[in-house]
Amino acid sequence: MIKKVLVANRGEIAVRVMRSCREMGIRSVAVYSDADRNSMHVRYADEAYRIGPPPSRESYLNIEAIIGAAKKSGADAIHPGYGFLSENAAFSARCRQEGIIFVGPDPYAITTMGDKIIARQTMIKAGVPVVPGTTEKLKDEQEALEIARQIGVPVMIKASAGGGGKGMRLVKHLDEVGSAFRRARSEAINAFGDDSVYIEKYIESPHHIEFQILADNHGNVIHLFERECSIQRRHQKVIEETPSPLMNPELRREMGETAVQAAKAVNYKGAGTIEFIVSDNLEYYFLEMNTRLQVEHPVTERVVGVDLVKEQISIANGNPLPFRQEDLKQTGHSIQCRIYAEDPDNNFMPNPGVIKHITEPHGLGLRCDGYVYEGYEIPIYYDPMITKLISWGETRVEAIARMKRALYEYKITGVKTNIKFLEKIMDTRDFIEGKYNTHFIENNEAALHASRPCGIECEDMAIMAAFIDYITKMESIQPPRYTDELGSNWKDFGRKRNVLRL
Amino acid sequence: MAYEVNLGHRSANVELLNRAGNHVFLDIDGRKYDVDIVMVENGVYSILYNGHSYNVELIEGDSSKKYIVNTFAKTFNVEIVDAESKYISSRNKGLSVEEENLVASPMPGKIVKIPVKAGDKVIAGQTLIVVEAMKMQSEFKASHDKTVLEVLVKEGDTVNAHQLMMKLE
Repeated sequence: MIKKVLVANRGEIAVRVMRSCREMGIRSVAVYSDADRNSMHVRYADEAYRIGPPPSRESYLNIEAIIGAAKKSGADAIHPGYGFLSENAAFSARCRQEGIIFVGPDPYAITTMGDKIIARQTMIKAGVPVVPGTTEKLKDEQEALEIARQIGVPVMIKASAGGGGKGMRLVKHLDEVGSAFRRARSEAINAFGDDSVYIEKYIESPHHIEFQILADNHGNVIHLFERECSIQRRHQKVIEETPSPLMNPELRREMGETAVQAAKAVNYKGAGTIEFIVSDNLEYYFLEMNTRLQVEHPVTERVVGVDLVKEQISIANGNPLPFRQEDLKQTGHSIQCRIYAEDPDNNFMPNPGVIKHITEPHGLGLRCDGYVYEGYEIPIYYDPMITKLISWGETRVEAIARMKRALYEYKITGVKTNIKFLEKIMDTRDFIEGKYNTHFIENNEAALHASRPCGIECEDMAIMAAFIDYITKMESIQPPRYTDELGSNWKDFGRKRNVLRL
Repeated sequence: MAYEVNLGHRSANVELLNRAGNHVFLDIDGRKYDVDIVMVENGVYSILYNGHSYNVELIEGDSSKKYIVNTFAKTFNVEIVDAESKYISSRNKGLSVEEENLVASPMPGKIVKIPVKAGDKVIAGQTLIVVEAMKMQSEFKASHDKTVLEVLVKEGDTVNAHQLMMKLE
């Protein structure tokens, strides 16, 4: 039985894992870099050990230091969270060697799913659909036409050596295959000195939908339904929800079964996620498997009513899953917004700094998984995500309304955040109607970057607040009545400090 | 006493007519406002005007006279122009270094690379310095053809927001 868990992570996920540990009566151990001495996970844990300087390579990715901390603390298990060492097969293997339980899959599953080609081959063998296409060089136009006919248009003819959009030709009709093949090939030889081209199915408006799975050490594998993750910027998810507006019960059952098959194919144990790409016509293809807890796991927890971290620890303890597939159902609708310290008006540039003031939203149907607090300095070394807001409602409409209310309540100063950007997404028609794919942010560029009108009265309020703040500040340092020539340095210091607020 | 307050490109005349605790009576560009204004939290003001409730957040800028002000709809740069600032700005006219000749980081970060050195001639679009923050690298590029006058940081240094990194000419 696990009695003490070392959490090899930082930020909100470290705190989130420790919360479940506390509920289970398990002691938690934090590890921290020099940049994180003041961080919330260090304050929350029962024990904490320093593992190195700020750069991740020397601290949160330093296997020796983490194993050292585990031994010193006597932790019997390590939870890797997400990111950092969570999908590192060598780390999983090392924990085993040291007799420490790794809360996650074995090195075999991590390695197999970590390599795209091997994962693709394994999935094909297991009967899981992958994006159709060839990875071999096409011989001639005739072969190109045959394959295009097999997988169905639209297809992409791509240069093997390609990149940056060069040597790529989109084919919408079969009679275009010949000319597209010739052009792609000549472009490829000119640009890359290599005329190898291959064909892949083109998925016009891709949806990114993933399935949560849980697998125990007794051969039981179940899925906990889907999460819709199509709203992304820079290939990073921003908003996730479940159920997916695209889904229907039949497709859900089918994809869920496929996800379970995929997990079984690598003899998976623990919590994992199978990511699919889904077309508008509801054709779905395996994309990759994440062999860890996902950032967006709370929406599943809320709708299915399962604490995934508790289940991970229970599985690591060797317990069988406490429920069967037919015991699980989705209740209501849940949405997660990721709050990043970044500037959406400036190409989402990260914006680390000191939190001057923060008010997080509360109230019915809301979960707020964060780790920052007033006066905390967000370090420059790690991820810009500071909070996850998770709303729940009986219906999707209610979940959206609740999320809008939560975003309105969320006040943070000192760093720029994407809160207003998220509010605008909630107001976008495509989002409200649930008709969106991974092109959502580019397709709605204008609406998402438009600034809301601030009329003359609104402007005057801004002027007023700054003006009143300024004159109040001036009054508080005046009159500078010195009782004697020398004055008091301490008093001066106090007055100055009043002006230079935190 | 009337003040000049700059909000973005707008310049407003603001006069405090009366003040009793939270109760403030003032004039902004000829419009009279009778409001209840109170700092409810550090840097956050609640204003009640004509039954409307406004929340305004202030982030102090480089000096005590400069603010970044967030209203529900929009973010503004606000500057209070008093006699002192007027005097300083009139005195500095013609002396100040053109802003485009100063390379500063808008955010804290770590210097990853400086591919140029003092004395180098650079062309418009050429990368001067690469700063990394939160796993993302940002390149700072020359806006025009220039010469590097001085490099004030080195690779591996961490910089604060708005810290000057390089001077050009």
